[in-house]
Amino acid sequence: MLIWNLAEYVAWALAAVLGAYIIIDWLRTDSRYSEEELTSSREGQLEAMTEQHEL
Amino acid sequence: MERYTPPPQSKLGQIFDVLVLLVLTVGALYVPLWLGLAGSAQVHQTVDAPTWESLNQNAAMVEQWGKLGFADAEAAAPLITARFDYSFSIFALVAVIITVVGYYAMMLKLSEKEYRDVIAEKFGKE
Amino acid sequence: MSDTATNTPGIAGEAERAAAQNGGLLRVLGPAHIWALGVGIVLVGEYMGWNFAVGKGGAYAALIACWFAGILYSCVAMIDSEVTSTVAAAGGQYTQAKHIVGPLMAFNVGLYLVFAYTMLEAANAITVGFLVETVAGMTGHEGLDPQPFIVLAIMFLAWLNYRGVLATLTFSLVITAFAFSSILILFLATSPVFGDSPLRHAELMTDLPYGWLGVLAAMHFGLWYYLGIEGTCQAAEEVRSPARSLPFGTLAGIMTLLIAATLTWYVSVGLMPWEYLGQSGVPLFDAARMSGSTALTVLLGIGTLFATLASANGCINDASRAWFAMGRDHYLPSWFGAVHPVYRTPYRAIIFLVPIALIFALGAPLDQVITFSILSGLLEYTFMPLNVILFRRKWPLETIKRGYEHPFHPLPAITLLCLCGITFFAVFLGYGTQLVAMIAFYIVVSLWFHFWRYRFVRRAAQFTMPWPKPQGY
Repeated sequence: MLIWNLAEYVAWALAAVLGAYIIIDWLRTDSRYSEEELTSSREGQLEAMTEQHEL
Repeated sequence: MERYTPPPQSKLGQIFDVLVLLVLTVGALYVPLWLGLAGSAQVHQTVDAPTWESLNQNAAMVEQWGKLGFADAEAAAPLITARFDYSFSIFALVAVIITVVGYYAMMLKLSEKEYRDVIAEKFGKE
Repeated sequence: MSDTATNTPGIAGEAERAAAQNGGLLRVLGPAHIWALGVGIVLVGEYMGWNFAVGKGGAYAALIACWFAGILYSCVAMIDSEVTSTVAAAGGQYTQAKHIVGPLMAFNVGLYLVFAYTMLEAANAITVGFLVETVAGMTGHEGLDPQPFIVLAIMFLAWLNYRGVLATLTFSLVITAFAFSSILILFLATSPVFGDSPLRHAELMTDLPYGWLGVLAAMHFGLWYYLGIEGTCQAAEEVRSPARSLPFGTLAGIMTLLIAATLTWYVSVGLMPWEYLGQSGVPLFDAARMSGSTALTVLLGIGTLFATLASANGCINDASRAWFAMGRDHYLPSWFGAVHPVYRTPYRAIIFLVPIALIFALGAPLDQVITFSILSGLLEYTFMPLNVILFRRKWPLETIKRGYEHPFHPLPAITLLCLCGITFFAVFLGYGTQLVAMIAFYIVVSLWFHFWRYRFVRRAAQFTMPWPKPQGY
């Protein structure tokens, strides 16, 4: 049936668009921000402020 | 306690490390497949000219088989007679137990060694 | 609920909060999202897969396995809730292991997580493809290529995850609630409460076809009723009040699943002979078709699709958090430890795991992928009792405050360890070779980490919790 053949192409196209979106945004982000800024997340940063593990 | 400073790793080294992990992962998944050792054994008892009675199906079961699209006993027989083979050798069982226990023992031992370093550097020796 | 963060001691106001969130993940989730993450990953197990336990040992064996696996996972949920309400960081069990057992254990746990979830994601995508193919077949179109739909499912969910955690888990919440309601409706519609019931338990139930050995073997797939509930911990760094929300969401999740699992078993075995049920691809969908109602068939068809999507969605979320956390600690290349400055997601980890999921979804057989996932999960559950015993020993109850303390310690830990032993035996009965291949893989990787990779890790810096020195060191 035609509609299912079309659906296959539409699925490929959508997947390609979403993939392209991710890749373009990734490359743009990497070029706009410095590596230090991007990897500035530290484990336990919030933990130290919000969770007081004291009795 | 002296502070440990890790060596910097080059971009190429980072990529190589990821590749090593990937190759090992794909290997663990596909090697049993290539060796033909994957999957569990199912045996079929072949029944000549199966009828619902010889397959021990009662009236209600026959009705449900019908609704599922199995019109006669012939069609349903392969599903009904399929059985797993649960026989195993004690030797294989012992080998597996040793592997699993050995793995955890090794990991806990090496972890403990690394952990003592971490704690010593973090809190200092008393 | 929206002002939880501002009411939390330690955070004064907007400015300080902004400073604290600099470069990190976004803290926006509530307990309902945690429930959706946990149940969402797992509920697909009710729609497909659990029924292989019926094939392994008969209908009653599947029920016994369902309840014993339920006990196993209740222990998992309690233990996990206690530890994670204290160790609130992305990476979940990985971070717990790092603080409590040691770096090598943490590396292994991180890999268990990533592989369990990525493989489950691949299995879900394969199921989506299969479902689309089935629907096409029902409308009279044969030979549909499922590949574009598999790829689309993975790409769409990766895109959603990339764009932000709140939208991702709100999506999960909606479709998970729908899928769970479908099971409830199927149960109510087929139960004798409303007139004629199509259920035929008295005639369809048989004795245990393999005896008690079959009950043991059924434990292998009994895990599938609940596999993934422990994933709730991965959201620890993104939830507004981890000490409260994580235990609440996780324990509510395991209760939901116990109900869903038992109802699923009850309806399915009342409609299908066990020999068929044990080999069915989509048992709940089959059950709906058997009930003779078109509305139920459509409902459960959509429910199956939603359950697989919710599961894959949660898997991408969890696997990427674990991969990200390991990158942040230099266990893996630090390049992966990046957070997107706008969407606040671990975007590089998400991107990296897409092709991996695709390789397995398009190239590997379903039962292999699922076994790899179950085994990684099982290794992780075996780690948990060791973890909590050491946690209580190194930091007894009076030394640090816990958001949740699980009762009857060490009984849950010992129960969990015993049940894991039984499940190892069950896996050995069917998939002994894979079990050994898998352990061999982890042994090789452990040695690689200990003798090579660990040199790039800073020692004291990876211990980030504001805890006192552990006892005995």
